[in-house]
Amino acid sequence: MKSKRFEVLDARPVNQDGYVQEWPEVGLIAMNSPFDPKPSIKIENGVVTELDGKCRAEFDMLDTFIADHAIRLENAEKAMAMDSLDIARMIVDINVSRKEVLDITLSLTPAKLTEVVGKLTIVEIMMGMTKMRARMIPANQCHVTNVRDNPVQIAADAAEAGVRGFAEMETTVAVARYAPFNAIALFVGAQVGRPGVMTQCALEEATELMLGMRGFTTYAETISVYGTEPVFMDGDDTPYSKAFLASCYASRGLKMRFTSGTGSEVQMGYAEGKSMLYLEARCLAVTKGAGVQGTQNGSVSCIGVPAGVPGGIRAVAAENLIAMLLDLESTTSNDQTFTHSDLRRVARTVPQLFSGTDYICSGYSATPNYDNMFAGSNWDAEDYDDWVIIQRDMKVDGGLQPVREEDVLKARNKAARALQGMFRELGLPEITDAEVEAATYANGSNDMPQRNVNEDLKAIEDMMARKVTGVDFVKALDRAGFPDVAHNIYNMLRQKVAGDYLHTASIFDQNFHVLSAVNVPNQYHGPMTGYQISEERWNQLKNIPRAIRPEDI
Amino acid sequence: MDQELLMKQIVEQVMAAMKNGTSAPAAPAACCGTGNKVTAANYPLAESMADKIKTPTGKDFTSLSYEKVINGELSADDMRIAPETLEMQAQVAESVHREAFAGNLRRAAELIAVPDERLLEIYNALRPYRSTKQELLDIANELDGKYGAKTAATLVREAAEVYEKRGRLKKF
Repeated sequence: MKSKRFEVLDARPVNQDGYVQEWPEVGLIAMNSPFDPKPSIKIENGVVTELDGKCRAEFDMLDTFIADHAIRLENAEKAMAMDSLDIARMIVDINVSRKEVLDITLSLTPAKLTEVVGKLTIVEIMMGMTKMRARMIPANQCHVTNVRDNPVQIAADAAEAGVRGFAEMETTVAVARYAPFNAIALFVGAQVGRPGVMTQCALEEATELMLGMRGFTTYAETISVYGTEPVFMDGDDTPYSKAFLASCYASRGLKMRFTSGTGSEVQMGYAEGKSMLYLEARCLAVTKGAGVQGTQNGSVSCIGVPAGVPGGIRAVAAENLIAMLLDLESTTSNDQTFTHSDLRRVARTVPQLFSGTDYICSGYSATPNYDNMFAGSNWDAEDYDDWVIIQRDMKVDGGLQPVREEDVLKARNKAARALQGMFRELGLPEITDAEVEAATYANGSNDMPQRNVNEDLKAIEDMMARKVTGVDFVKALDRAGFPDVAHNIYNMLRQKVAGDYLHTASIFDQNFHVLSAVNVPNQYHGPMTGYQISEERWNQLKNIPRAIRPEDI
Repeated sequence: MDQELLMKQIVEQVMAAMKNGTSAPAAPAACCGTGNKVTAANYPLAESMADKIKTPTGKDFTSLSYEKVINGELSADDMRIAPETLEMQAQVAESVHREAFAGNLRRAAELIAVPDERLLEIYNALRPYRSTKQELLDIANELDGKYGAKTAATLVREAAEVYEKRGRLKKF
């Protein structure tokens, strides 16, 4: 006879998820694999001749790049000789400063970094994040996409997301040829919602760079790196091409970060029998060596893999911490859907949300799950109120704030109208008043009228051939009667001349004042230090419209 | 030395280096060790050192305005970063111990002169199995000779060696 209790349990969402036993031989293990290399380094005449148990003759492409570029050599032999447990303890010791920790960790090899964080419990990893993240003030990033690539909806959703508090926004496409419209709509919508929000469009590498050069975007993130050479090749890049690409972005005044995450190598079939975390540590070393300011990591789109193995979500937090130990901007995933269980998806985000990271999600879906073209997100538009109430419950700043419906509607409507005017001035296909109205009140693309896709795609081709740039957006918005939005776009373009936002963990406030790890570095060293929620901010976070006010009773 | 004099000196050195066709964006040698570099204290440069920033087209950062965009006095070419500015940002990065990042900014400064299309072509040529060793070496020589992009050229030469060793060059 079947247990009624087990019947109930079997039907629970958590039991619709997939799980697998560890299988270290193929890399199906989160961290601490018996097959992970033992940490080692040998330096002769300023050249690394041995790295994590391999001599230079045995180096693959990643080893070579890491050995030549990623490790601060002056102090390396001394730092590598330290007991990993001692280093782990320094990470959680409030009497040891962030800088003192970095002086050691920047000289460690991937195997050593993996070993160090392997000594930490999840709570200690969170303490490490609190101290080691680069920027003092945490922030958040969202995805703004929809299944039909409807630009009016993108503009409206971006404007709402700006009002809600996101500092960065990312779009991508259902149909690749729609990319320029998605990028423009996001740019305009974001600047309506909150001046100074940075925007990007995730595409094939060269196309993504081209859109940035044209002034359609202000930063880039989808520059993937991988932890084994065969997977890197499958990704159609090398550490050298990616390092070159990093410099291409900076040469155009564009902020950029790399992307990597645990599980990608085993998912692509070439984990070389190493733990997911060790391979991710190699990715982060490549990122550091390329001279990139930051990373998006935390398994990202491969989250289903670590989530299926024991300790996998701890490893995901550990990989975020390794990024911070390398002084990289840490943009901590919490994006792709991985579970049917609401409890699991909250637990997965606790380490980053409660500790605070440079960008807690990368990103939070600013649309319903069905409109998220990054295969759904762990957090969707439907969860906006859950997020702000969790912030209120725990007194944490997750980058969002409660909003009023009328403010959101106003921003959505203005963004849709601004895009309508800009399209008209640029000679692009009409955005009708009916579309503006629908976008103002829509939840998702099911609420939007269909656009003429062929006409849009033809107009995009023509616009790109005409060499339209960000400067033309400014002029068109001005002519269309939206000089305030045009000013915001202009101010974002102007930032590329100064380059302040190229620096680690940069964001802009609404006055286009840059806040980064240079001028607001994390200085946590124990209780009542580091980021403290101001009274003004706490008033903003705690005042949810739904709360009963005693004076009203 | 006051900040203005220092910046003038840096810019002059960079300009002189560019004229000589040597690596323009490398840290001006005379500046090293004098303690007069741009630092985190000068950041953000757009606020603290706006008068020292120029566009690659030679316009003053402080002269850029919305009105000039609207009346067509400024174009997309003016809204770009100049090598001297990236050098200053590299110095800021160094002042907060981000040497690898500073190196990337210097490599980037060298690439400003490379046209968009050519830059995209070079990036694609660096992808696996795209180029022969000679093709990569030719690119390195082009970066070096035509644009004075020494560190970028070094990276491409390194790639040529490693791709050869690892069998990642173009296959016939």
